[in-house]
Amino acid sequence: MKGYVKYYGQKLIWYLITFVIALMLNFFLPRLMPGDPVANLASDATAGMTDSSQIQLVVQQYKERFGLDKSYPEQFLIFVRNMFQGDLGVSFTQYPRTVVEIISESIGWTIALQLPAIIVGWLLGNVLGAIAAYIRKGFDKVAMPFFMLISSMPAFGMAIILLWIFGLTLKWLPIAGGYGFDLLPTASWEFVVSIIRHYQLPFWSMVLITVGGQSIGMRSMSIYELNADYVKYSRFLGIKDRKIVGYVFRNAMLPQITGLALSLGTMVGGNIVAEMIFSYPGIGTTLVQAVTGGDYPLISGCTLIITVLVLIANLVVEILYGIIDPRVKAAQQESAA
Amino acid sequence: MARVMLEVNNLKTKYITRYKESVYAVDGVSLKIEEGKSLGIAGESGCGKSTLALSLMGYYFAPLHYMSGEIIIDGKNISDMKPDEVRKNILGNEIAYIPQAAMNALNPTQKIIRFVEDVIHAHDPKVSKKDIYDMAVKRFENLGLPPEVLQKHAVELSGGMKQRTVIAISTILSPKVLIADEPSSALDVTSQKMVIKMMRELMEKGFIKSMIFITHELPLLYNVTDDIMVMYAGQIVERGSAKEMVFDPVHPYSKGLMGSIIVPEEGTKDVKLEAIPGTPPNLKNPPAGCRFFARCKYSIPECAFGDRSERKFDNDRMHRCIHDVEYLEEAYGRNEQK
Amino acid sequence: MKHQLKQIFHSPKFVVGFVIFVVMLSAAIFYPLISSVSPLQSIAKANFIPPGRYINVQDAVESTNKVLMELDVVSERVSAALSASDKEKMIVWLEEYGGVEAGTLSADNIEELLEAWYAKYDPNTRFEGMLTSTSKEYQRMNTRVSNVLSQNGVIIAEMVDGELVKSSTTVRSQDFVGVKDIPNQFYFPLGTDNFGRDVLTQMTSAIGTSLRLGLVAGLVATAIGLTLGLLAGYVGGIIDNVITFITNLFTVIPGFVLLILISYSISQTTRGVNVVAVVIGLTAWPWTCRSVRSQVISLRNRDHVNLSKLSGHSLVHVVVFDVLPYIASYVVMALILQISSAILAEAQLSMLGLGPSTTKVATLGLMMNWAQTSSAWQLGAWWAFLPVIASIALVSFSLNLMNTGLDQVFNPQLRDS
Repeated sequence: MKGYVKYYGQKLIWYLITFVIALMLNFFLPRLMPGDPVANLASDATAGMTDSSQIQLVVQQYKERFGLDKSYPEQFLIFVRNMFQGDLGVSFTQYPRTVVEIISESIGWTIALQLPAIIVGWLLGNVLGAIAAYIRKGFDKVAMPFFMLISSMPAFGMAIILLWIFGLTLKWLPIAGGYGFDLLPTASWEFVVSIIRHYQLPFWSMVLITVGGQSIGMRSMSIYELNADYVKYSRFLGIKDRKIVGYVFRNAMLPQITGLALSLGTMVGGNIVAEMIFSYPGIGTTLVQAVTGGDYPLISGCTLIITVLVLIANLVVEILYGIIDPRVKAAQQESAA
Repeated sequence: MARVMLEVNNLKTKYITRYKESVYAVDGVSLKIEEGKSLGIAGESGCGKSTLALSLMGYYFAPLHYMSGEIIIDGKNISDMKPDEVRKNILGNEIAYIPQAAMNALNPTQKIIRFVEDVIHAHDPKVSKKDIYDMAVKRFENLGLPPEVLQKHAVELSGGMKQRTVIAISTILSPKVLIADEPSSALDVTSQKMVIKMMRELMEKGFIKSMIFITHELPLLYNVTDDIMVMYAGQIVERGSAKEMVFDPVHPYSKGLMGSIIVPEEGTKDVKLEAIPGTPPNLKNPPAGCRFFARCKYSIPECAFGDRSERKFDNDRMHRCIHDVEYLEEAYGRNEQK
Repeated sequence: MKHQLKQIFHSPKFVVGFVIFVVMLSAAIFYPLISSVSPLQSIAKANFIPPGRYINVQDAVESTNKVLMELDVVSERVSAALSASDKEKMIVWLEEYGGVEAGTLSADNIEELLEAWYAKYDPNTRFEGMLTSTSKEYQRMNTRVSNVLSQNGVIIAEMVDGELVKSSTTVRSQDFVGVKDIPNQFYFPLGTDNFGRDVLTQMTSAIGTSLRLGLVAGLVATAIGLTLGLLAGYVGGIIDNVITFITNLFTVIPGFVLLILISYSISQTTRGVNVVAVVIGLTAWPWTCRSVRSQVISLRNRDHVNLSKLSGHSLVHVVVFDVLPYIASYVVMALILQISSAILAEAQLSMLGLGPSTTKVATLGLMMNWAQTSSAWQLGAWWAFLPVIASIALVSFSLNLMNTGLDQVFNPQLRDS
């Protein structure tokens, strides 16, 4: 048990360091790139103004607002301090709403959509991949190329295709929004049904994309495990195939969990674009609107939150993996001994 | 008259490659083992020893296919049985197998005791977990293995320990025949000794009734088994008691094999080592006539034609050479004098 | 080497992927050359024309090769002018306001229906209870329908100095003209986008640009990943620790987020295709680095490497001549995957509006973005985005197939028999 504490302690520290660095990147990258977002904003605001002293005033105001008149390290510290107080700045495009306010509205929708989608997609993909590996003959020959094709499609591609088929051509499901435009959020059954209906298309497109990639990986891992020595040995001791299949898939799942951790970042990225396509009121849409509107604080806030979410998800997966895989436990006990 | 534990009559099995070609890996093997006896099988790499081991189990996984022949375990002809029956009733409790490189034979993420439970439940689903645990502890202690091993995962054990665990698990149902495929080849010398000791104990304590020990290490067989068979290119070329085979081999191949061993004992410093030149034939198209013909020092033109069938001599010995025993012994005598 | 090449081209997956890839590449190179328009040239002054052949109306009317055919032209004209719901509405009007008895007219008997309509319909009559919009709808329908039943033909009058001059050409109701006789025609195999640009020409040129972008990004990512991986794997020690730390950092921080941050910060004018490619490459290297590093570590202790070291060869020499050739196969596979994911990344970036900002070339992602911002799918203009998605998927798919094929050649245990 002691080994465990050390292991997890180390992981936690590592993630904290990563968070700090992500924070710094989030802050400094835009400021270090050629092109000054604030200057762009100021020039947008002063476009059409001819009086140079007026222009100066506006630019000055913007500078102060962003604390650009102070040095970079100072700005960073102010930023961090504000952040811990729950202040991520004020949005430009939705002035005077604060960034925190906007994000806290949309983040609920995003998590409610993406978390189940990723989990369901992962489970479904692994099950299908396992079946394909086990049956091989007919199912595999058809399923494999199909899954490869799906996984080659960009996330938004799947979203658009589903939108096209089910939303526009067959008109079965609504294509935009989190709930009907004509409804107000109330605790009514009608509202709930509307939410569920609007949930379908974004959810299933995300699931399908994940399924494509996961099933291929799982299939390869399963084939590899199915040829392992312990499978042959178990058979020769008379153990039934069903039990052996259980062993194989338990073992094949483990690298899949690691794979999940590694691809979380990409998945979130793809899902953001999918959200945007469906105008689903999550962080994705907020981010896109912020980009289009040049709303710098909002963009910064969104990317930060997304990074934090991905980091947390990664940490959770790694913790889970440590519990599930006895090899990790063994390695820990060895080093603790 | 001792009970015959394992009787094999003219067993033939083959591999079918992905290009649909047949490789006749086991081409007519017959043998008999009595209760309480052990048989060693020796031969160079690729002669078909491991394939023979798999074939003897009576259950065939692609690409290995059964062609013809009989396998009779303690009077039961398993070649006539349906594969499902074999799997349920024979594998594990009548005949058991210890694979080569047994270290990888254990599921790395499973506790040993769970695996034991699975093995026993596969044959008798009603046994309780507690009974299984008690039995396992007793058996392990009996064989000199610490019972704590049962609570560990395979990944936490050393190589030697894994091997001995595998041996213990393979024999936990006290099978009549145990087939061990190179059980000690991948281990250090100390572990090797422990493995051999364990296998002897298995026989002595009656946990197994007979054993087949497959290896390429000939000196080992002398210390472990009662009889020895030499295999070459899918066929048995000679059989006899351990002593007879080591000190008085008849078939030119066995002779060559024994002659290529370094024996670290007194007086052997001046004995010349002889290697057998060439490589074994391709079993996709087994040559007509004697398979050793191309590499044999004592061959005559007739060796290349006609089937080389088994020839019995003395009590229980057999060889496949075209020459008579006397001719060969004389030829060997001349050779040694040179 | 030759043997490996032979094996590669015998692998069915690789060959299929390769063929698809070559087809797309050839389309990208050759179609723009043979097309009569340039990719971003706005031809049609209209949004989203469906795919088809478009012919010049004046040529058709003025053609001297008109042929009279005894065919029933009226039914076709009627179906073009009147949809089923239109006919229903006609009946409703006639029964309610036209004084026709209910049940006497049916949608099946067009002639009777139309004759009743011509006789009874009066656009000027106001009826109580009818919405203005409805009455205007009927008026429009009437315009569409007037003279459909007639066989009189039309007279084309010319305009001179803004004044109508009498008859220049007569066109009979059953006059036909061969399509080949019309000098001005244009074929839009995939229709146009919202700016009136030919989708097929645009798309094939975009495939080429995207491939180029993918190549640049892939090369950048692979170069960085290869160098760092080699260093980390071969030299080990502190350098390894530092590089691994940085790699893990960039693996966990979503590359997409970094892409957004960087792309946003680069002002519009500098965000050309190559710049975006480099940026994508800069965020994609960790994966290659990790993979190369693990390969190098396993190679590090091989005999031939030790031999080379003992012979006194410099670090660079050992790495280049003894380690590199063995990981070459992995590097090639990594490059292919990087190209594939770079194309996808660019597409996603463009969808967000952060892609290359260029009016001279199109990329597949940009085409998607244009389709989206001009509501292509709500307008039902499937030709403006479905082929683009298909292209992205096919390019990606072919690259992934090639990669799997290569993988199976280099790692025999992955072969499925």
